[in-house]
Amino acid sequence: MNVAESIWMAVDAVRAQKLRSGLTLLSISIGVFAIIASTSITTSLQEAVSGQMASLGEHSFLIQRTPTLTFGSSWRKYMKRKPISYPQALEFKRLMGLDAIVSISNTNPGFTIKAGNESTDPDVALIGIDDQYFTVNAVSLSDGRTITPHDVDFQRPVAIIGNDVITKLFPSISGSVLGRSITIRNQLFTIIGVLETKGGVLGQSQDNRVLIPMTNFVKYYTWEWDQSVDVSVRAVSRDALMSTVDEAIGIMRALRDVKPWEENTFELDTNEALSSQFSGFSTALLIVAWISGLGALAAAGIGIMNMMLVSVKERTREIGLRKALGARRPWIIRQFLVESITLCQLGGMAGTIAGVGTAWMITMLFRSSGMSDITFAFPWSAILFSVVACTMIGLGFGIYPAFKAATLDPIEALRYE
Amino acid sequence: MAEARIIIDIAHISKVYTMGEEQVHALRDVSLQIRAGEYVALMGPSGSGKSTLMNMLGCLDTPSSGHYSFDGEDVSTMDDDDLAAIRNRDIGFVFQTFNLLPRASALRNVELPLVYAGVGASERERRAEEALENVGLGERMHHRPNELSGGQRQRVAIARALVTNPSIILADEPTGNLDSRTGQEIMTLFGNLWRSGHTVILVTHEEDIARHARRIVRLRDGLVESDTPNTQTP
Repeated sequence: MNVAESIWMAVDAVRAQKLRSGLTLLSISIGVFAIIASTSITTSLQEAVSGQMASLGEHSFLIQRTPTLTFGSSWRKYMKRKPISYPQALEFKRLMGLDAIVSISNTNPGFTIKAGNESTDPDVALIGIDDQYFTVNAVSLSDGRTITPHDVDFQRPVAIIGNDVITKLFPSISGSVLGRSITIRNQLFTIIGVLETKGGVLGQSQDNRVLIPMTNFVKYYTWEWDQSVDVSVRAVSRDALMSTVDEAIGIMRALRDVKPWEENTFELDTNEALSSQFSGFSTALLIVAWISGLGALAAAGIGIMNMMLVSVKERTREIGLRKALGARRPWIIRQFLVESITLCQLGGMAGTIAGVGTAWMITMLFRSSGMSDITFAFPWSAILFSVVACTMIGLGFGIYPAFKAATLDPIEALRYE
Repeated sequence: MAEARIIIDIAHISKVYTMGEEQVHALRDVSLQIRAGEYVALMGPSGSGKSTLMNMLGCLDTPSSGHYSFDGEDVSTMDDDDLAAIRNRDIGFVFQTFNLLPRASALRNVELPLVYAGVGASERERRAEEALENVGLGERMHHRPNELSGGQRQRVAIARALVTNPSIILADEPTGNLDSRTGQEIMTLFGNLWRSGHTVILVTHEEDIARHARRIVRLRDGLVESDTPNTQTP
C-alpha cells in the first residue's frame, strides 16, 4: 500500500464532504494567507525602501523639526516644537564651519507648475535648495548645472526639474529643456538642470519635483505656519560621522536654547536610523500578521481534529470492513493521517494562492503609484513554512482520531449503524 | 482417497463476555474441524453463539479458552495485526449487507484486499478483473455499488472474497438482503465455487439456504447441537 493510494482516498473523502471540509479548510487558508501575504509584502517593501528611502548620501545626516517617519501618536509633541528657521539654519551652518558640509533645504508639496499652455497636476514637490544640496544628498543631475552660491545669494530665478514634470509640461519636446521657462505661482523661472530619474519611495515619486534656490523658496513659497527648514550635514569622512553628529547636536541645542535637562527639540536622522525605523515598522507588521496567522492555524487544527473525529465515527463500518479485509493498525493510522495532512495541504494551497495573489496585487499597486523600484518578492520561505506547518497540524491534530480509528474492534465496527 | 488437510481445527473453545455484572457464555467447550474442500453450513437461532463462532472462525475474535489452529497455525493467541494478516491471506468474507465502499467502483472494491496484501497496482487490477469475470460481472466492473442491483453487489463482494485466493470463504447470511430468486442465483454461485475446489462456510438461519451445503452444524446455547452430513442438496 503506497502513500499515493492514501492521498487518493483522502481527496475522495474530501469530495464526499465538500461543505464540512471547505469550512474547516477555510481557517487553514486564512492562516496561511496571512503569513504568506504579509511576508511577501513586507519583504518587497523592505527591499525597495532600504535602498531607496535613504536619499541622504554616505556619512550624511539630516536635522529636522519632526522625524521623517512617524508611527504612532507622538505627532502633537512634534508640532509643539519651534520651527528651524532659515536664519537659524544659516547660523548653524556658519558655526559648523569647515568641520562638515551643510546644506539647507525645504520642501513644500502640492504645487502646480506651468509652461506655456501646459500645466501639471497640483502635486509637484517644490524644494528650496542651496549650493551644497547635491553634495550632501544622494541626488544627481542628468543634464545642465546645479545651483551656485550666486544663484542663492542673488535670488536668481532658476530651477532644476524632475522628469515627471518635463513629461507633463513639454510632451512634444524630445531634446533638452534647458533654458525654457516655467511658472510657479506667477513667478517665472528658467530651467538650468534636469534631475536624474530616481523612481519613488512609498508611493511618492522622486521625479515629480522642482528645485529652486532657497532664498526664492523662503521669499515666495513658505507658509507662515510651516517655516521650518531641513538641514543636511555631510561629515568629512565616515570615521568623523559620530563626532560630527555630536557637534551638530551641541550647536543645535545651543541655538535653540535647549536646557541641559531637556531632550532635543529637533530630530537627527542618519541613513541607518531611517532604515531601522522603517524596518522596525515593517517587522511589527510582520509579527502581527504572523501571530494572527498562527492563531488561525491553531484554531484550524482543532477544527481538523473535530472533523477527523466525525469522519472516523461516520466511517466506522468502513474501518471495520478494512480491518476484516486485512488492514493492520499502522495502515489505518496512516490512512487517516494522510487524510488529515492532505486536508491541511489543500487548505494551505488555497491560502498560498490567495496570499501570493494578494501580495502580487498590492506590490503592483505600490508600483503603479510611483514606487518604481519595488519588485514582487516571491515568498518561498513563507510557503515552505506553510507546507511544513500544515503537515505538522495534520499530524498533530490527526494522530488522535487516526489512533481511535485503528483501535476500533472490527466486530463492533462492522455492526455499527 | 486420502482425506483432505484440516484447515480449521477448533478444540474446546469457549467465549465469555462480561456485560455489566453478568457473564455471558457465548460459546461453551466447542470443538469443530473443517477440512479443505468442504461446504459447511453453520446454523442456529439468534443467541445460539453462531455469530460468535463465525467471528472466531473468521479470526476477527479470539477465544477466552481453548485452541484454534488455522491451517496448522495457532491463532488463538495472536495479536490484532497478525490476525489481520491471516484474514487478509486466508479468509474471504461475504457479508449480509455486502459492505462495499460506496464511492469506489466494483473494480476498486475488489482490489481492496490486495491493497493490504501489498500487491502492485497493475497486478491488482489484473486479478480483480479476473475475479469479477469469474462471478459474471466482467461488463460492470467500472460501476459503483449504487449503480448495481443487490445480486450484482453481492457478486462484487464474492469477487472481493475470492481475489486473494483464500483458504476459506466465510459467508454470513449472504442472501439475507436479497429476494429469493436472486438468493438462489447467489447460492448457485457458491455451489460452483465449492465444486471448483473452494472451502465454503455458510452462516445462516434459513433451512433452505443451509440445504445447499454438504454438512450442517447446528448450534444452540453455545454448544454444538448436531453436526451432520447433508445429502438432500437441491
